Amino acid sequence: MAKKLCLILIGMVFMNAVLQASFTRQDIKVHKLDNGLKIIFFEDHKIPSISYYTFFRVGSRNERPGLTGVSHFIEHMMFNGTEKFGPGEFDRIMEFYGGANNAYTSDDLTAYTDWFPPHALEKMVEMEADRMQGLIFDPEVFESERGVVASERRMGVENNNEAILYENVRATAIMAHPYHWDVIGWMSDILSWRRDEVMQYYRTYYAPNNAVLVVVGDFDSQKTLELIKKYYSGIPAQTPPPQVTTAEPPQMGRKEVVIKKEAQTPSFLVVYHAPRCQDADFFALSILEKPLLQGESSRLYRRLVRDEQLAISVYGGIEEKIDPFLFSINVKPRPGADLDKIEKIIDEELNKIIDEGITEQEYQKAMNIIRSNFYFSLQTNSGKANLLGASELLFGSFEHLFTIVDRYSQVKREDIPAVAKKYFHELNKTVGKLIPQGGN
Amino acid sequence: MIKKIISLLLFTILLISVVTMASERLPKPEKIVLDNGLTVYFLKNPELPLVSFRVLIPGAGSAFEPRGYDGLANLTATLLLKGTAKMSAEEIAEALDFMGARLRVADAEEYAAVYGESLSEHLPKLLQIAADCLISPAFKEDEFKKELARKTDTLKSLKDNPGSALRLYFRKAYFGDHPFGNLSTGTDSSLKKMSLEEIKKFYSSRYRPDLAIMAVVGNIDKEPLLELLNKTIGQWPKPAAAPLPVNIPPVPAPKGKKLILVDKPDATQSYFALGSRGLAVADQMSSRASLMNILFGGRFTSWLNTELRIKRGLTYGASSSFQSWKIGGIFLASSYTQNDKIGEMLDITFDLLKKAREKGLSEEEAESARNYLLGQFPQTLETNSSKAGAYLRIIFYDLGFDYYDRYLNEITGARARDLNQAAKLLPDKDFVLVVVGKGDEVRKILSKYGQFQEKKITDPDF
Repeated sequence: MAKKLCLILIGMVFMNAVLQASFTRQDIKVHKLDNGLKIIFFEDHKIPSISYYTFFRVGSRNERPGLTGVSHFIEHMMFNGTEKFGPGEFDRIMEFYGGANNAYTSDDLTAYTDWFPPHALEKMVEMEADRMQGLIFDPEVFESERGVVASERRMGVENNNEAILYENVRATAIMAHPYHWDVIGWMSDILSWRRDEVMQYYRTYYAPNNAVLVVVGDFDSQKTLELIKKYYSGIPAQTPPPQVTTAEPPQMGRKEVVIKKEAQTPSFLVVYHAPRCQDADFFALSILEKPLLQGESSRLYRRLVRDEQLAISVYGGIEEKIDPFLFSINVKPRPGADLDKIEKIIDEELNKIIDEGITEQEYQKAMNIIRSNFYFSLQTNSGKANLLGASELLFGSFEHLFTIVDRYSQVKREDIPAVAKKYFHELNKTVGKLIPQGGN
Repeated sequence: MIKKIISLLLFTILLISVVTMASERLPKPEKIVLDNGLTVYFLKNPELPLVSFRVLIPGAGSAFEPRGYDGLANLTATLLLKGTAKMSAEEIAEALDFMGARLRVADAEEYAAVYGESLSEHLPKLLQIAADCLISPAFKEDEFKKELARKTDTLKSLKDNPGSALRLYFRKAYFGDHPFGNLSTGTDSSLKKMSLEEIKKFYSSRYRPDLAIMAVVGNIDKEPLLELLNKTIGQWPKPAAAPLPVNIPPVPAPKGKKLILVDKPDATQSYFALGSRGLAVADQMSSRASLMNILFGGRFTSWLNTELRIKRGLTYGASSSFQSWKIGGIFLASSYTQNDKIGEMLDITFDLLKKAREKGLSEEEAESARNYLLGQFPQTLETNSSKAGAYLRIIFYDLGFDYYDRYLNEITGARARDLNQAAKLLPDKDFVLVVVGKGDEVRKILSKYGQFQEKKITDPDF
């Protein structure tokens, strides 16, 4: 039951030159209601199913101490009752109509993802519109759901060594910006959120002028627009939420976190401050990450896993974020591996890129990976809906999907060393180690 | 009353759209038999410039490992991509990554399978690599050592995570010496005695084209595909020796209660798995059991998730499922909660099982399960890869190409009484229960269910 997981990564890679017939800018219809709700339609009648995705511009980035994790908690409460549909009714009715759903919260956004047969459309429009502002936060349900989220934190973080380390490293690397805390929030906040504060937060961010609706699949645009108008038009716009103004100050030196706990294997993580996804450097780093650490042919996999046999696996890279976040290099070391040596090898490999750049073959490889991943995600209605919505919220417009090829091709192979040099240096670096108690 | 009319109407709409849909969404593929005996099922899908393929090799799965060699099938599958007569492991990885293509070999219990997917333009190269790996793996000593070391380390880290540890302990507890008890991850003792000789022996006796079946779905025409196949996987020689048997002994059904506690002193939550007799893939009862399980523990508003998560907030998720193979299957329910709440969680689970067996499900619930299954069906065949998987499933389990139509018809026609027949399968007195948690906190709570055999997570094996 992978429901309501807080997704840390929205796996999306875009590319445009490659866009062939079946998915073009011309086939996408965009509307905006008077209350500010933006609607993006893409009709595709291949299967009798509709993906109906609602994106809100709210995530853990909008939170503050005391209310950490509240965006994700509201995601849970969205299934727990309005005046019109009691607690659990949303799921019960949706499943009765043959629909299923999921939802996720990231640092930057919250998404509600529904898939259902066409005959369920009106009911779904009605219920989605209803919960945009109609939640009642029944006190008893509120407490029970708090328990669910606490359990999610225990499972996802406290019983998972990589997650414990990640949470510590991110909180060490990022000291001022709200990316400091993880989407799930701190346990003490989870245990003490107040109902009135949560409701205030909900009222601020769950507004038509703070949301984007993406519909992909087997529906008729004109009729669906009428349905959407019927159910959403009466929802008033709210005062736009406050901007996130805190900027992370430059780091002044290498940081390190060491965690000692019962474990059979160590964990290791290095992060560097990295640009936001709308920055030109983002694309260079996104190209660079592929030869550096994606796949078994990548430089770090070869050295750490195959040649030196210090690690079981390597993964990471840059993430698409509204504000500057992190470029991370996660290593699962072998038991007893020398963690300092792992760090030294990562430094060596990064320095090689700073000095010599990447090869033409590696550059082409990165482009091929970007292109094929893009097509793989276009195979499903849901893949398309997710690309459109995330592009709109993170990159500023869904149209970005259709121009991004220029962004990637503007990055010349020769530009890579300078960008690498700008980010991969000691002052920008935080290292995390989880050392099994009594060993290593 | 109004609700009833709406649902009747709904039902009619679904009936029409769904029943025609299965064959529309999964057209009958073309069958091609290559000279070496390999059977290929092919469907052209021009929507995107992509092609997916799968090769299923019956008999090369973990159930066919010699006793005590857990992980042999998995290591064999992994090593296929680690070097051939023509290419080194690095060259294979480089070629695949360069195309942004996906290729992996994995083992299930009954078979091993090759999964490949790429842009159409890269298919020739991808098929060439896949065939090379299947036909002439190098099985080099140093690659074997590396993979074995990685596997040994991974096994350790799996025990750090109570959720993954639970699955492994459960499998051993439930199946014991039955071949389905072989762990793909390996065990401490099996990995110690693993040898490259055994791997080579397993490969040469179990990987063969005349037993294998393949499906290709995507944007390519039949003629060029056929030419490609003949040049690549068609070159896989058929061994002279007759194939080894691929039959598996009957899946065991628990008699009485078997209770196991795995003590993990640093666990902040306890995880349980409760298993009992299930159904074979082709069992007459399968579709009814799917519907019943949707209501019991197979979706968000299921009984289990409603009582354990939605109403009480005891857990992030609770679910149940039927796992099926050719010759039998199991029913499995599982969840997790704070150590001190595990008793409450198990009590509720046992109560729900009893209620389902004795009182059963209502007509309205049955209708909801039908709508749900039918409504979600189209997405299960949305991608090239899922279509290829469906073809191989039909062939391997001998279900016939009308399988999905029949299945959807059965679903459409099922009523509460049919589901309640399936509910009689749910465990009562005969089951295996495994709990992974903090012994000091849960030992006393669990004692009321009977005598638990206790294991320490730090002890070798499972």
